[in-house]
Amino acid sequence: MEWDSSSSSSDLSGDDDGGVGFLLNDGGPLPFPVDTLLQPAPCGFVVTDALEPDNPIIYVNSVFEIITGYRAEEVLGRNCRFLQCRGPYAKRRHPLVDSTVVSEIRRCLEDGIEFKGELLNFTKDGTPLMNRLRMTPIYGDDEVITHIIGIQFFTEVNLDLGPLTGSTAKVTVKSSDPFRSSLLSCRLTPDGTRNSSIGLSGILQLTDEVISLKILSRLTPRDIASVGSVCRRFYEVAKNEDLWRMVCQNAWGSETTRVLETVPGAKRLGWGRLARELTTLEAAAWRKLPVGGEVEPSRCNFSACAVGNRVVLFGGEGVNMQPMNDTFVLDLNSSKPEWQHVKVSSPPPGRWGHTLSCVNGSNLVVFGGCGTQGLLNDVFLLDLDAKHPTWREISGLAPPLPRSWHSSCTLDGTKLIVSGGCADSGVLLSDTFLLDLSMEKPIWREIPVTWTPPSRLGHTLSVYGGRKILMFGGLAKSGPLRFRSSDVFTMDLSEDEPCWRSVTGSGMPGAGNPGGKAPPPRLDHVAVSLPGGRILVFGGSVAGLHSASQLYILDPTEEKPTWRMLNLPGLPPRFAWGHSTCVVGGTRAIVLGGQTGEEWMLSELHELSLASSVI
Amino acid sequence: MTSSKTIVLRSSDGATFEVDEAVALHSLMIKHRIETGGADSTTIDVPEVTGNTLSKVIEYCKKHVEAPNSDDLKSFDTDFVKVDQAVLCHLAKASYYMNIKGLLDLSSKTIADMFKGKTVEQIRETFHIKNDFTPEEEEELRKENSWNLFV
Repeated sequence: MEWDSSSSSSDLSGDDDGGVGFLLNDGGPLPFPVDTLLQPAPCGFVVTDALEPDNPIIYVNSVFEIITGYRAEEVLGRNCRFLQCRGPYAKRRHPLVDSTVVSEIRRCLEDGIEFKGELLNFTKDGTPLMNRLRMTPIYGDDEVITHIIGIQFFTEVNLDLGPLTGSTAKVTVKSSDPFRSSLLSCRLTPDGTRNSSIGLSGILQLTDEVISLKILSRLTPRDIASVGSVCRRFYEVAKNEDLWRMVCQNAWGSETTRVLETVPGAKRLGWGRLARELTTLEAAAWRKLPVGGEVEPSRCNFSACAVGNRVVLFGGEGVNMQPMNDTFVLDLNSSKPEWQHVKVSSPPPGRWGHTLSCVNGSNLVVFGGCGTQGLLNDVFLLDLDAKHPTWREISGLAPPLPRSWHSSCTLDGTKLIVSGGCADSGVLLSDTFLLDLSMEKPIWREIPVTWTPPSRLGHTLSVYGGRKILMFGGLAKSGPLRFRSSDVFTMDLSEDEPCWRSVTGSGMPGAGNPGGKAPPPRLDHVAVSLPGGRILVFGGSVAGLHSASQLYILDPTEEKPTWRMLNLPGLPPRFAWGHSTCVVGGTRAIVLGGQTGEEWMLSELHELSLASSVI
Repeated sequence: MTSSKTIVLRSSDGATFEVDEAVALHSLMIKHRIETGGADSTTIDVPEVTGNTLSKVIEYCKKHVEAPNSDDLKSFDTDFVKVDQAVLCHLAKASYYMNIKGLLDLSSKTIADMFKGKTVEQIRETFHIKNDFTPEEEEELRKENSWNLFV
């Protein structure tokens, strides 16, 4: 079969700069970077040593390796004819290979002229390919051929390789664009350098989509950082922001990711950078946050929480111990944030020692506290974004005992969890109640447990790992006495029968608490949940002479949870109990209040920013 | 006794497998081929997949179609993926091409578990990946990707 260069089908010579010329040099060693001069569509490139018997291969490029599935190490020293055998163990040329073409190749080599033609070849795993081949002899000194250069364009073939009895084999050449074929799903590395373990490395044969969406998306941010350093291909895949977003969402939960996304566009770091900073805390720092407006009349023992980038404050204890019932908002999206009194209809009865939490997007829920007539156990809900914000009471059946100084948290953004606190006559509580505010008519439900940690007030409840809660510290009952505690307990609310456990999982006395540098026992402290499950603790009324402004961090998801001290740049709040804190935009922990003796500071807040802000 | 319709699947290296149509339909790619195919839809070519891999894929489909509610399905899946990483990747590739979500998720998850907590070198070793960075690039990457806590 002669190659007809005037045929209408595309041929190689039309694409390059006309013939063998580009391969010639000054007669010195073969210019190996030659393959980068070839036309844009990737093709195989082989060089054989014509001075050795049977033209052994001395070089193959990465395209050759990727497409044929044979690594360089496997083929160096062999003649190219192995490609005519089907699979690595076949000894004879496959019968479908056209022997007239093979003879033509031999004739051209003997005559020292160029060959152009098409020949059936097979990959290492037996897939048939049509090899549009061009072989060019290279002449050294004395008109002796020193090398043969082979350029291959491989295309997919729809071959009937069924039983040999009777049936005529049909050979059809598919579309002329070899690299659209899903057969060749491997992508070249950006500069064409090879990853020469193709034969053994299955994973690099998967498409970017499978690697990224199906495999890497299941890993933690830290693992992705390692993956990006493994090889060029993974480096490119691991740079993808969509992958990082999926990884962050899987690691931190959709609630947290949603909150992080609502941070105004100009300040967005990108998911990759955000994941890094929230994991290493390398950019975390304290800073002062001066704000305008006033919370008048002044008060203490209020409760505050974040709604998106806004901080909301309700109630508190005014002068003469008067329980307050007004609502204030501080919008941190604004360039000059200032406290504003919110005109609301039908505010709840005034109170202090209550809890305020954010649920269902922009709703606030108040529970418990101490009012003018004693302890309360009512629930009030406010939609901050309503046109005319109105507090409305949620009358739930079988509410928990009235109490103050309990702790609360929200699960899934819809369920309010309340635990412990101080009931009438000063009795300390240890119960745990849940109120599902996503329901039309929410009902209180006590979480039945066989064992509870000692009852307490002034402790914190933090949510981590989706549906787990962590209780820390507080003033806890111990026989007839009460002591400040530094105990840590956890509960997994995704279980059918949730129960309180020590965080280390150990039941042995004294072994339940994490090791490391534990915070001294305290109550009325601040606990912040970081994305990924770690808890930050600082402040509070601390036993002994310990500084309350030291920051501590704990990862309850570790195999052996360990307390660590965290020393960050900037100045933490000097006076550190009676605070309220909330996390704004997922990365800024705003600390309000904190007694300085006479005054409760609300005009100069402290912010623990966890990630860089692009301001 | 009624015999259900069978389909012949043909791998890239010419191996043929006769399977019940219901089993073959577990692959949405094959389902699509059959539904849009012409008269000759009893033999389906699967040129992306070699015989060895196709045989395992069929084994998976058989189990999941014939006994989807059996108690030992979970342990079947667990044992099914106790194979070499190369075989796992072939299974992932095949199930992606053949659009078998359950097998793709199972093999992908197993591969993902092989990454967890490993260092860069350990990942390369596990998956036989060669380091194709220059020493300068490696130094840059070391700084970029080594996340040290609380430094």
